[in-house]
Amino acid sequence: MSIKNELAKILGKDYVSDKKEDLAGYAHDYSLLPPGMPDTVVWPGNTQEVGKVVTWCNEKNIPVVPVSSKVHFHGSTIPKQGGVVVDLKRMNNILEIDLDNRLARVEAGVTWDQFVSELEKKGMRTIMPLLPPGDRSVVTDTLEREVPTNVVYDYGEPMQSIEVVWPNGEAFRCGSASVNGFPESKSRGANPSGPGLDFYRFFQLAQGTMGIVTWASLKIESIPRMDKILFAPVDDLPYAMDFLYRILPRRIGQECLLLNNIDLAAIVAENMPDDFDKLCATLPPWTLVLVISGLLRRPEEKIAYEENFLSQVLSQEFQKMALTDNLPGFPGLGRKLLPMLRKPWPSNVPYWKNRVKGGCQNLFFITKPNKAPVFMDIMEMVAARYSYPVSEIGSYIQPIEHNRACQVEFSFFYYPDDAGEKAFVSDIYRDAAAAMMNEGAFFTRPYGDLAPVIYDRAAGYTMALKRVKKVFDPNNIMNPGNLCF
Amino acid sequence: MSIQKQAYNALEAVVGGAKYISDDPAICEGYRSGPGGYESGLGYERVMTTIPGAVVMPKTTEEVQKIVKICNRYKVPYVPYSTGFYGPRSHCHVENELLIDLKRLNSFEIDEKHFFIVVGSGVIYSPIQQEAMNKGAYVIIGGGGAQASAIANLIGDGWSPLSHRIGLPHRRILGTELVLPDGELVKMGSLADGNDPFWGDGPGPDLRGLLRGFTGLRGCLGIVTKMAIKTLPFQPEPLVPTGIAPNTALALPEKRVKWVNFQMPSKAAQVKAMFEIGKAEIAGAATKVPLFWRAIAKAECKEEFWEIWGKETEETIKNFFIVRVLLIGYTSEEQMRYDENVLNDIMTELGGIARPTKPSDESWIKNADSAGMWLMCGSYVSVDYIIESLSQATQHGESYADLKRKYTPPLMPDNGDPGWFQSFELGHQGYSEFLIYWDQDEDTTGVDHFYLETAKMNIRERFYTSLLGPHQPLYLTGPMYGPNYHEWLLKVKDEFDPLWVCHPPVPLAHDEFVERAEWMKPLKDWESPKKLPMPKW
Repeated sequence: MSIKNELAKILGKDYVSDKKEDLAGYAHDYSLLPPGMPDTVVWPGNTQEVGKVVTWCNEKNIPVVPVSSKVHFHGSTIPKQGGVVVDLKRMNNILEIDLDNRLARVEAGVTWDQFVSELEKKGMRTIMPLLPPGDRSVVTDTLEREVPTNVVYDYGEPMQSIEVVWPNGEAFRCGSASVNGFPESKSRGANPSGPGLDFYRFFQLAQGTMGIVTWASLKIESIPRMDKILFAPVDDLPYAMDFLYRILPRRIGQECLLLNNIDLAAIVAENMPDDFDKLCATLPPWTLVLVISGLLRRPEEKIAYEENFLSQVLSQEFQKMALTDNLPGFPGLGRKLLPMLRKPWPSNVPYWKNRVKGGCQNLFFITKPNKAPVFMDIMEMVAARYSYPVSEIGSYIQPIEHNRACQVEFSFFYYPDDAGEKAFVSDIYRDAAAAMMNEGAFFTRPYGDLAPVIYDRAAGYTMALKRVKKVFDPNNIMNPGNLCF
Repeated sequence: MSIQKQAYNALEAVVGGAKYISDDPAICEGYRSGPGGYESGLGYERVMTTIPGAVVMPKTTEEVQKIVKICNRYKVPYVPYSTGFYGPRSHCHVENELLIDLKRLNSFEIDEKHFFIVVGSGVIYSPIQQEAMNKGAYVIIGGGGAQASAIANLIGDGWSPLSHRIGLPHRRILGTELVLPDGELVKMGSLADGNDPFWGDGPGPDLRGLLRGFTGLRGCLGIVTKMAIKTLPFQPEPLVPTGIAPNTALALPEKRVKWVNFQMPSKAAQVKAMFEIGKAEIAGAATKVPLFWRAIAKAECKEEFWEIWGKETEETIKNFFIVRVLLIGYTSEEQMRYDENVLNDIMTELGGIARPTKPSDESWIKNADSAGMWLMCGSYVSVDYIIESLSQATQHGESYADLKRKYTPPLMPDNGDPGWFQSFELGHQGYSEFLIYWDQDEDTTGVDHFYLETAKMNIRERFYTSLLGPHQPLYLTGPMYGPNYHEWLLKVKDEFDPLWVCHPPVPLAHDEFVERAEWMKPLKDWESPKKLPMPKW
């Protein structure tokens, strides 16, 4: 009997398919990695169904590829060894929004569009990465630790408890949601830690290789009553970094980021390519974006003390930093960009990274902010070696937690139908990554081609990771071919 | 008793001679659990702990690795030990066990610009807090006090009222070195492929999951020898030591750091105040003050405590609603005034009345006043210390207080005090702690029973609890949390420590205690294997 028929017994025939047209959509994504077809796709409707599918696959030693989003960039959901795609899109319920404890519990299929709009109705928001695609899974991005644009909270991570289905098909709740009978319990699921081990850690950055996360509790915050967006043109990156080292530890601002002219143009251009080209030519090399906000109480006072602090630092220590409420020469930029920072990228518009040429390969890693300029120089050198115009590479620096660290991201844009350009971008991407690693860039999220390189360099970690994987997934059914598994 | 000679000789060679290893009974006696320690004099300590067969003091991670490999080769059980605050559960449990005293791993280095401190296992909080404050940052000092090992505290506990702003302890663990139970070394976070420990997770799935559950594994999954600890930006003014020992404190620069107490009209108002402070995103701490603390703070000796405490009644305790708030001018004096204005707005709405406070800090920023906990009876334990929501935290203590009545005495009479609660992570979490006190010279059977009954109470009432893993019988709590977290924990233990050479019989030590202690058997109403699934030592 076929896989499809067996799984149809569990889910019903409407939620299982092995039709080529259904499978094709899972065979590739926006990455440069080669396609790979699954054998079957299933659309379970709840945790129990996920568990039954995984149990069956584990018994038959069939790979399971969890998918939660409609859009993917890193190749981690492309089946590397066939198997069953478990698409969680039907599990798209916002299970609760607890305003007292400021947490929301969402299923894996809940999208950014859905989540942000529901929270807005209650005057709430969640800290979020820069312009995530509207139809991408909130849970996936949180598990993948996409870096938020908000730098002010001391405690960084928004994720609290999660529910998972282990590779043997059993459901399990991590953290304080692990109490018997949750959510009908006094525990609200606010603590991610425990029970016994910090199990939730093994699912972060795991690309579905440790099990399937079916829901997550996330912290939510109140929407500020007032916001002011500030910009500074930057042509001296080390100087700008010094400025951020000065102000961000003093808990100034909510969102704070640095975009080069290419990335900023790709985000704010009205029309492609004319508007984009014009913006690229006229925007400063870098733009610092800083949002200061007044919260629920005395919002004016909060804005005032932040402005007063900034004004003192600017006038006494950083006279060259022209931080104002508009970027000279670009009137209306603030009005346009501010709401964008609190929302996902609209699902009905090509993603901002794909607007330029249709495809984009990102290279991103964690480093210390004072090293970011060094990585810019390295990129210039690598690009020069390939005669690749550095003026076409998007760059984005995201400070993290009071600027104690940052994520550096480079975007290589390409035409998806141009095989030659894709191969070329793929080469420069790998070479640039190697050069960055040699200089101390830390790749927390090893995707695709970079994973073997990264794990070779981290031999002790890799060994221990494989031992943990062996405990949880002895048959290696969960998304095999990714990371070091 | 001692460990076998060949093993001892090999260990001696690792640490460079006899100076840093000993099996002298007098030395080993110094590593006995208690007396007068945390959880002192209880059945668990009497039944489950013993003195080490030998003590070794390595200086480096490499030496620790070699020691652990020798232990595996010669089948010598071992326990890692830094400052030993955490009482019996971090002391030797089996005969002829090697105690690896890590206090020589005592160097630390601060990265001021990037807000972290790299510490060895023997580094205690006191110097790193001072250095951090010298550089405009701060860390959390747990209730164990500034004399506790920072690493041990962060892989087991690691919170205080300052967690209102700073947040959960496991989020502050950055690049870390873990010597696995078989002696292999895992470097986590950015140490995995480099030398800079500034980042904590990855690459890929985060092995920091092995370091602790909610409240730690008491060293049964390896030895952390090095850790970068995230610090958080503080304010720039110095906090000046003042007073004469033992009545010392830090004088606070009042325009930048200030404790404020508010007397609230009801518990509902007290709880609401914490929610509102969190939502407003102000303050560096927001905690309830139990009436109990006041008596401890005022008393200079046991007799004085009882004189003060003896005047309290169920009624006075039931109607004592203080919210204590620490205001910090992280940005500027103007920011602190903003926080204070917001706080006053909240208190006006809720009927809170400001009460005078000293312009100093006696406990949480630098010291943590753990010594006071022994003042009343001689023994104490935090029977639960739980991070969940403010919703749970503000109800949890009352269940404890109800259960405790049945076991008082031998527990100290406290007129139904429901413990302590506070805000964590700007109100995204709440913390509750319930402490019990007893005289270790009396019959403590009731204390042992109470401790175990709290696990059943938490299961029954569906509370999350810190006392999971090795802190209660694993086969009691395991099926009821996760569910079946114990099965995964035991599989992980078996994978990394198939001989169970690392701190046996943890994490099944409390199960074994119930089997071995006759007075515990009547309480055993849960299922467990006839033979606990571990090698016997």
